[in-house]
Amino acid sequence: MVDRESSKEEPRIGVYICHCGLNIAGTVDVEEVTRFASTLPNVIISKDNRYTCSDQGQQLIKNDIKENNLNRIVVASCSPRLHEPTFRKACEEAGLNKYLFEMANIREHCSWVHLNDKIEATQKAKDLVKAAVAKVALLEPAIEAEVPITRKTLVIGGGIAGIQAALDLADTGYEVYLVEREASIGGRMAQIDKTFPTMDCSICILAPKMSDVGHHPNITLLTNSEVKEVRGYIGNFKVKVLKKPRYVTDDCSACNECSEVCPVNIPNEFDVGLATRRAIYTPFAQAVPSTYVVDKEVCLNKEGIMACDKCIIACERQAINFDMEPETLELEVGTIIVATGADVYDPSALLNYGYTRYLNVITSLEFERLINAGGPSGGSLIRPSDMKIPESVAFIQCVGSRSEKGNPYCSNVCCMNTIKDSLLIKEHWPRVQIYVFYVDMRTFGKGFEDLYRRAKEKGVIFIRGLPAEVVEERKTRNLWLTGENTLQNKLYKVNVDMVILSVGIQPCQDSEAIQRFFTLSRTNDGFFMEAHPKLRPVDAPTGGVFLAGCAESPKDIKDSVTQASAAAARAGILMAQGKVTVEAITPKPIPENCRVCGLCAQVCPYNAIIVDKENKLVEVIEAACAGCGTCGAECQFGALHMRHFTDDQIMTQIDALTEDDASKKIIAFCCNWCAYAGADFAGVSRIQYPPNVRIIRTMCSGRISSKFIEHALSRGAGAVLVAGCHPGDCHYIGANYQTKKRVERLWKKMERLGVNKSRLQLLWASAAEGERIASKINEMQVTLKGLTTKEVEKAREAFSDN
Amino acid sequence: MRLESTLIPKKIRESAKYCHECGICTASCPMAELLFTQYNPRSLLQAIFIDPEKMLVEDSLWLCAWCYKCFNRCPQGLKPPEIFQLLKTKAVKRGLFKGFKEAVKKIRNSIPLPVICLYTCFHPERAEMDSKLFAEALEELNTRRKLKKRKKTAIHKEKVAVIGSGPAGLTAAFDLAEMGYPVTMFEALNEAGGMLRKGMPEYRLPRKALRDEIRYLKTLGVKIKTKTRVGKDVSFNDLWRNEFKALFIAVGAHKSRELGIEGEGLEGVVDALDFLWKVNMKREVNLGYKVGVVGGGNVAIDAARIALHQGAKEVMILYRRSREEMPANPWEIIEAEKEGVSIEFLVVPKKIMGQKGRITGVECFKTQLGEPDETGRRRPIPVPGSEFFLEFDTIIVAIGEIAETTFLPAEVETYKGKILVDPINMKTSMKGVFAGGDAVTGPATVIEAILAGKKAAFSIDQYLTETKNREDTAW
Ligand SMILES: Cc1cc2nc3c(=O)[nH]c(=O)nc-3n(C[C@H](O)[C@H](O)[C@H](O)COP(=O)(O)OP(=O)(O)OC[C@H]3O[C@@H](n4cnc5c(N)ncnc54)[C@H](O)[C@@H]3O)c2cc1C
Ligand code: SF4
Ligand code: SF4
Ligand code: SF4
Ligand code: SF4
Repeated sequence: MVDRESSKEEPRIGVYICHCGLNIAGTVDVEEVTRFASTLPNVIISKDNRYTCSDQGQQLIKNDIKENNLNRIVVASCSPRLHEPTFRKACEEAGLNKYLFEMANIREHCSWVHLNDKIEATQKAKDLVKAAVAKVALLEPAIEAEVPITRKTLVIGGGIAGIQAALDLADTGYEVYLVEREASIGGRMAQIDKTFPTMDCSICILAPKMSDVGHHPNITLLTNSEVKEVRGYIGNFKVKVLKKPRYVTDDCSACNECSEVCPVNIPNEFDVGLATRRAIYTPFAQAVPSTYVVDKEVCLNKEGIMACDKCIIACERQAINFDMEPETLELEVGTIIVATGADVYDPSALLNYGYTRYLNVITSLEFERLINAGGPSGGSLIRPSDMKIPESVAFIQCVGSRSEKGNPYCSNVCCMNTIKDSLLIKEHWPRVQIYVFYVDMRTFGKGFEDLYRRAKEKGVIFIRGLPAEVVEERKTRNLWLTGENTLQNKLYKVNVDMVILSVGIQPCQDSEAIQRFFTLSRTNDGFFMEAHPKLRPVDAPTGGVFLAGCAESPKDIKDSVTQASAAAARAGILMAQGKVTVEAITPKPIPENCRVCGLCAQVCPYNAIIVDKENKLVEVIEAACAGCGTCGAECQFGALHMRHFTDDQIMTQIDALTEDDASKKIIAFCCNWCAYAGADFAGVSRIQYPPNVRIIRTMCSGRISSKFIEHALSRGAGAVLVAGCHPGDCHYIGANYQTKKRVERLWKKMERLGVNKSRLQLLWASAAEGERIASKINEMQVTLKGLTTKEVEKAREAFSDN
Repeated sequence: MRLESTLIPKKIRESAKYCHECGICTASCPMAELLFTQYNPRSLLQAIFIDPEKMLVEDSLWLCAWCYKCFNRCPQGLKPPEIFQLLKTKAVKRGLFKGFKEAVKKIRNSIPLPVICLYTCFHPERAEMDSKLFAEALEELNTRRKLKKRKKTAIHKEKVAVIGSGPAGLTAAFDLAEMGYPVTMFEALNEAGGMLRKGMPEYRLPRKALRDEIRYLKTLGVKIKTKTRVGKDVSFNDLWRNEFKALFIAVGAHKSRELGIEGEGLEGVVDALDFLWKVNMKREVNLGYKVGVVGGGNVAIDAARIALHQGAKEVMILYRRSREEMPANPWEIIEAEKEGVSIEFLVVPKKIMGQKGRITGVECFKTQLGEPDETGRRRPIPVPGSEFFLEFDTIIVAIGEIAETTFLPAEVETYKGKILVDPINMKTSMKGVFAGGDAVTGPATVIEAILAGKKAAFSIDQYLTETKNREDTAW
């Protein structure tokens, strides 16, 4: 353990205020803040700096530590979520324990969100620096524990992204479990006919990879399987996977005898319902595994009833076994790659396009199957109403994309997909007249523009302006498209034989469940959020979890593969190191204070506290503890010392922030993962809100003890905001339910004491919801404006005893 | 720069920046189709966002007919009519009337039934237009009649029958008469005008304006047979076989749907259209103190407002979905609420309760919205156990109207109370028979009916010319 005494020596603090070019200095008077910092207790050095994170900036800190014997450092710059590791490292290099460093976030939480209020922003920056200086004086050095990493990976989703990641890792020598929900791997790419921009046959380039997965000694392929539970943390995940029975054993030779005799005939999902399949089937010819599968939903044999044995009799190899049971597998892995892909938009809600009402209006995915040689029509372009080759077709772009009515984002692949499809038609049936109705053609990638030119060369007509309506001509089943050619300012009426809706891509239906399993964040669009959009684009915010393919955002095959290889590399780096360190933010019991009440153990989401009533001891299992601090907040006797987020440290931050003008301020407690990150996001997006809020960071909202809130009110704070992840999204399982309980208890107490309870607000906001945080702060201004001195005094008194 | 002009509130300005100029609004807009290139909501919107100040004198602002078809389809959910309204109000405040005056000229030259449209579609009063200027505009629109006032000699011999005298029928009759066809119009009620006469409240359309318009139509030579219900007073086949070479069905949607719940026969449960009709006929209606209106369309809104005007003290609309799904014109919902109509969302009547044969109130379910149904709106699902009671003296039922089509021969295909037509040329499945207006679309707007009438007239002319040519060559 760390020598407590060393932390007791007189603090000698160095403070560095960063200009960040003009990012901070453009709004905050940095010189003034620097001058102010030099007046604070224990501050030996206070300097400003153009770019503190640069080599020179770091060197300056290192030199100062050595020359001036500094034993505490504060950097006031960007978010600690961005550069805390950088500066901690610099401290370490200068021989200072990295836990003796603290940051004040005067960019994301200050200069960027108060662009037009220099005076108030400067005032706020001073406050934040003051709080950081107060906290840093109380920080204690610490040494991090190391935990070993299991050298195995779980890949969820067997589309092209999942396949590529699994192969890369397996080839590197790691063991991989590949879990796929469907009966075969392959994903969307297996459904597509050709791929842009090279016009390769999709299944021809995919099938060899699929079969590699099937045969790789390092890959365990689990199809028909779903993740059911995830526990543990980076390096040491324990995952439960439910493997549903296929009712066909590995002895199957894929001879198709069983399918031929099966009496059940239903639409085939793989061919988006355009063809049929039997109850015992293989999704498509190249499926991996090739083993057939029984769809128990439609098979005549229900639970315990054997009504049909046709397939059993037909199978010479006796591979069919209706006694197979679902299995739950428990996997132990060190890293996880999420590659669950995406779904396509369902256009039936757009009534004016008549999808499902008119037979000859189809989606682009249906078209892929139609034109595929392995598809229901044997690759012949036919229209559904009369199976004739259409003389003219129209593509409608942005269906469900870039729209308030569908999804607001661009789906990235549909423009190129349409160009590809139009060329495919032209290749085989050059006389077909093709119209493409669009608002913008986005052909940004390598080789994309060439393809666009080729389509134009072949006579495809591109018309700017989306049809307002598609109507069917009742006799011919042809379709009328009416719209405006917005480049010509003319209305058009075009008659075609078939319409193809270029539907967008949306987050896969499982995204929500996956998000919960790994406490990931999703953007407003529903795609998984990366740890940093530029610099850590395949890392999930949760350690040890990586993202690949359309699960992260809509993208094409090339980008999916690139990202998958990147994710595999990132996971590989972790596993090659063999161990990870865990932050020294776990609690230390203080036996003198402990009354062995056991409350801490009750609220710990990880069962990391063992209460030994007999010996009057409380023990924290360090490897299991995630450091949320909920126990510390619950303990009434100050018997848990929450390292790096101690009661004293947080109290002193509150004191510093409420020293002047307290009644005009909002003291906000934000959890690191959602609310604090959301406030960072507000900064990055330059969302403006009133400058009278002061944010204190904790790892989890569960750490926010009632006494912090009461203390803020007793110091005369105008209002208090407690903000954490949405219920169910907590990064510490369900610790934020404790937050909710605590706040609700306090509201009751405030009511009882006659204190206006709207002065305490609770907000759930994700890392993507900067807007939400800003609007809450705006909303709270009303309470602040209406606040009388008398009310402030009343609360001050009511809570002062605590 | 100008983009940040304060003429348009920030929220609207922000949302409107996402207009991708897809052109769906313009292509959906009946006014754009009626006025060809003279009106284009898409480019108007763009121009407004580039320089709103300059657009204050723009005539196009005044040419929007408030049908909200653009809003229903705009991928960005923009409400062009309300954005135009902001500028119109500003223009009036600043005394800039050039745009309005120009617009009136355009309306005079291109829109059939211009006076009716000024009242029922263009609504200059919503922008607080000066009453003197309004009167001047009416004068201007009436000059058209004076200019053209002469009986057209029929240059064609093929007679055309128009069934129904609402805006669709009136328009088709106008246009056909002007082309020189002898037109006879059949109307079941005792006076022509269709829903303009029957359902439209007087405050919205003064009856004098309607009569003037119809009188003018007669001067063009159109014969109007009122109190003649096709199917009762004269059969469809008679018309078809005997005199007429082409028929235009514009019977509107006048058959009210029924709630289909217990207690519908009680005294005090009234049909919305009957109610409006009675009020318009100046017959007495006794509503009592508290009135409930079931439904969420324009008829429900009008009925609720009229109920207030008729002296009801409390009027509550019961709608089974939420505000977003409400099919009524958004602006009129706001106006109704301003007048004091309250709207209860997500409720559906379960049973109408009564005593001694008279209604005492309604038992309702709360609803939840489920998956979208075939109309694309989310289906309301009654929540079991959520029943509650609301006291009412009168219940007005306005849950949708469909066309009365029983008089039509089987050759004219219909679907769920709507006549099926080819929307491009308004042809029904029966040769020589055309249809348009609410009978085809379900309850919609005057301007859409006018457009349908216009398209039908054009198409009927084409059809008759073709038939004649064929006959000529056959001889
Ligand atoms: C109509 C259309 C045409 C396209 N054309 C082209 C083209 O020509 N060129 C091109 O480059 N790109 C094209 N694309 C894009 C391309 O399909 C995608 O880039 C690619 O498929 C993405 O791969 P993925 O692995 O991320 O997702 P997917 O291939 O969609 O695979 C995801 C897999 O995960 C499985 N899964 C989901 N949830 C779970 C779970 N909880 N547990 C286990 N398994 C799960 C799914 O069943 C699926 O097998 C097209 C897309 C569409 C829709
Ligand atoms: S890729 Fe093209 S069609 Fe698809 S959403 Fe983007 S712009 Fe629209
Ligand atoms: S409550 Fe949180 S900090 Fe406390 S022991 Fe459990 S995981 Fe660790
Ligand atoms: S429909 Fe909407 S997005 Fe399209 S041009 Fe009109 S206002 Fe713009
Ligand atoms: S409300 Fe109707 S008339 Fe006005 S712009 Fe929209 S579609 Fe055109």
